[in-house]
Amino acid sequence: MFDSVEDVEKKLHDQDYICGKNIATVVYLATKLQKPILIEGPAGVGKTELGRAVSRALGLPLIRLQCYEGLDESKALYEWEYSKQLLYTQMLRDKIEQVIGDAATLKDAAARIGEQDDVFFSERFIVPRPLLRGILSEERVALLIDEVDKSDPEFEAFLLEVLSDYTVSIPEIGTMEAKHIPLVFLTSNDSREMTDALKRRCLHLYIDFPGEEQELAIVNLKVDGIQQRLAEDIVKLIQSIRKLDLKKAPSISETLDWARALMVLNADTLEAPLVEETLNIILKYEGDIHKAQMELSKLLQEKGAESPGPEAEAGEKPAATGTPPRKSVLH
Amino acid sequence: MQKKIVDFTNLLRKSGVRVSVAESLDAFAALDELSLDDRELFKDALRATMVKRSDDIPTYDRLFDLYWSGFHDALREQLGQATGGLPDHVDLDQLLEALRQMLENMDVDLSDLAKAMLSMDPNQLEQMIRDAADETGIERIQNLLQIGFFSRRMIEQMGLEGAGGDLRELIDQLREAGMGEEELEQLGRLMQAVQDAVRRSVRQFVEQELDKQNHDYLERFRRESLQEKSFYNLTEEDIRRMRELVARLAQKLKNVITIRRKRQRKGKFDLKGTMRRNMAHGGIPFELIFKQRKKERPKLIILCDVSSSVANVSRFMLQFVHSLQEAFTKIRSFVFVAELGEVTQVMRDNDIYQGIDQSLDGGGVVNVYTRSNFGFAFHVFWRDFLSAVDSRTTVVIIGDARNNYNDPRAWCLREIHRKAKNVVWINPEAPGAWGFGDSVMDRYLPYCDVAEECRNLKQLSRMVDRLLL
Ligand SMILES: Nc1ncnc2c1ncn2[C@@H]1O[C@H](COP(=O)(O)OP(=O)(O)O)[C@@H](O)[C@H]1O
Ligand SMILES: [Mg+2]
Repeated sequence: MFDSVEDVEKKLHDQDYICGKNIATVVYLATKLQKPILIEGPAGVGKTELGRAVSRALGLPLIRLQCYEGLDESKALYEWEYSKQLLYTQMLRDKIEQVIGDAATLKDAAARIGEQDDVFFSERFIVPRPLLRGILSEERVALLIDEVDKSDPEFEAFLLEVLSDYTVSIPEIGTMEAKHIPLVFLTSNDSREMTDALKRRCLHLYIDFPGEEQELAIVNLKVDGIQQRLAEDIVKLIQSIRKLDLKKAPSISETLDWARALMVLNADTLEAPLVEETLNIILKYEGDIHKAQMELSKLLQEKGAESPGPEAEAGEKPAATGTPPRKSVLH
Repeated sequence: MQKKIVDFTNLLRKSGVRVSVAESLDAFAALDELSLDDRELFKDALRATMVKRSDDIPTYDRLFDLYWSGFHDALREQLGQATGGLPDHVDLDQLLEALRQMLENMDVDLSDLAKAMLSMDPNQLEQMIRDAADETGIERIQNLLQIGFFSRRMIEQMGLEGAGGDLRELIDQLREAGMGEEELEQLGRLMQAVQDAVRRSVRQFVEQELDKQNHDYLERFRRESLQEKSFYNLTEEDIRRMRELVARLAQKLKNVITIRRKRQRKGKFDLKGTMRRNMAHGGIPFELIFKQRKKERPKLIILCDVSSSVANVSRFMLQFVHSLQEAFTKIRSFVFVAELGEVTQVMRDNDIYQGIDQSLDGGGVVNVYTRSNFGFAFHVFWRDFLSAVDSRTTVVIIGDARNNYNDPRAWCLREIHRKAKNVVWINPEAPGAWGFGDSVMDRYLPYCDVAEECRNLKQLSRMVDRLLL
């Protein structure tokens, strides 16, 4: 368990997840109040990763349920293992004949088989899916219900039932209750709005794109051996690109991809041709790329005139006093 | 504190943020787990428990600042100014310490307010001001002219005059008890300043209250009226807000469609299919097969009049259908004034709002600065695009049918109607005006399966809903 909001921040950081107070506060409250967190925000801002990082930080096994259109109870909760049941009836044919024995009518025979129902509708023949596994687990688990907005509204209603009392009733077997209330994360990319009822059950966390400082910390953490100056350039540029009116703004994962690609290309600062050639890593639409290019040339015109000094050596740390001359896009 | 939170919750509700009772209880539970000194933490905790729609976050932020930080800080500042008014050489702490010692040995009878003023305790003073505000029914304040009235009522309610008297008496008593003249004078000045500070704070409180009430009112008014506001006179601000509203309405429709479609999707048990599939298992049905019913989604062709009189109807219709793309097999969009051109690609290549703006501007395919000519536009469509219309296509036309006395060429629409599944006409004018003046709506009506007035968002969204059935 976490001791305080600061403790959350620290322990998540130990798990390579950088977050500010706002995220830490909600996570802390969720563990204290034992409520699910509904995490919303654009794609690639670390919603899924937050669930993972918290489960690692608390040492809870992670059970993940990826949602999709058409996901239903049988895939999320449990399913009768129909073919196994059938297999058993085939293999037990002799026994069944004994049971039916000298039954006079078909109806009578069916009634006798009916008496043996619970042999075939028992836990033996159930395939537990993620939700049931999470609820029946002997130890406390973290349950990550990922991209719940992709599921259908009916599934949401069903989910709400499970999350309101953490019990599952299977008509043929009875009601099963959770031994430990799992720590639940639901993530949504906002492709549709979740119902109010579900939202009422959850604490709500909106994760937006990170600020400059935070994104820089993430880049430094996740891209091994990156030059400080390159990291700064990348993050600055990404941040200003996000301010443009784009069809799809670059996410953190795209920042990371870009940083890694530029490392491979041996860049140590960002320069215009390189940026232009690699823009397609962070932007997926022609129109967006075009806009970013215009922005870039504007930045270049503003900054380019200032300091066309000699290029800084690779590996040089920015000096504490005075700014070294740079030919990079942003300085 | 509890009461303050309850009040704040009510304020949120009044401004259109839905907060359930269970959620406000969560908020209390959350605050039990946190230290309340950290304002940001406090703000995050309240938000996580009570505000669940991202759309509501800006409203929450505004109200939080208005309600929580505003007044308390203002009061502290006023008190700070009161003590700052003392001459430099006076040591405030020393003065108050001397006062405390004197009071310990004296038997004085002070009102609670006088005590709070003496100790300059902002928390206590704030509470008293809030209580007085409740007593006077401050939530009834409606306009600037009432600020003076409510301030006076609150000051009376708090008994500020009486407390001032108490303090003057106290100074006399202190003089008798032997306090020095200079200290007495400073104390008198200080108390006067604190009194003024309280007075000013009360007024500030009332002003903020008025802001809050106005905020609620405006917010509610905007939300309600936007749906029924006529498309003919929208401000830029209206358009921006309506855009959000349309997005929300479209989302709702989308949820409805999934449910409708889901119902269809559950097919019947397919006996033949099951037997066939399980031949290999000796006819023992290991795999069950269900009939997949084919869902039929309409193809949509939408013809938007983008002349200035109708542009806004077209704007929101485009937003609707493009937000609901999944509901249709295919959408092709056209714009016209006199010429007609296709903007399907424009809509595809841009973000939805930019796509719409560009389309309304002619999409690079038509000139929008001419006079409307429906007949010509239909003729162009008939000539160049009729092959796109088939028996599964719904053609939606948005326009006022004001044809500037040109030839209506109704036969073009007749041909379109003959090939299409449906022709739907959305007209921002009331049916009473159809066919009068230069309106040729009456000439087109025989070839429309549905023709309706859509003057505002409410009517438009009802229309979209019908399209989806
Ligand atoms: N705060 C963060 N700290 C560290 N890494 C992060 C952070 N946010 C995002 N990432 C990284 O960004 C990528 C995308 O995150 P992900 O959780 O998949 O996004 P989402 O689920 O919001 O679409 C992952 O590789 C993740 O490691
Ligand atoms: Mg994810």
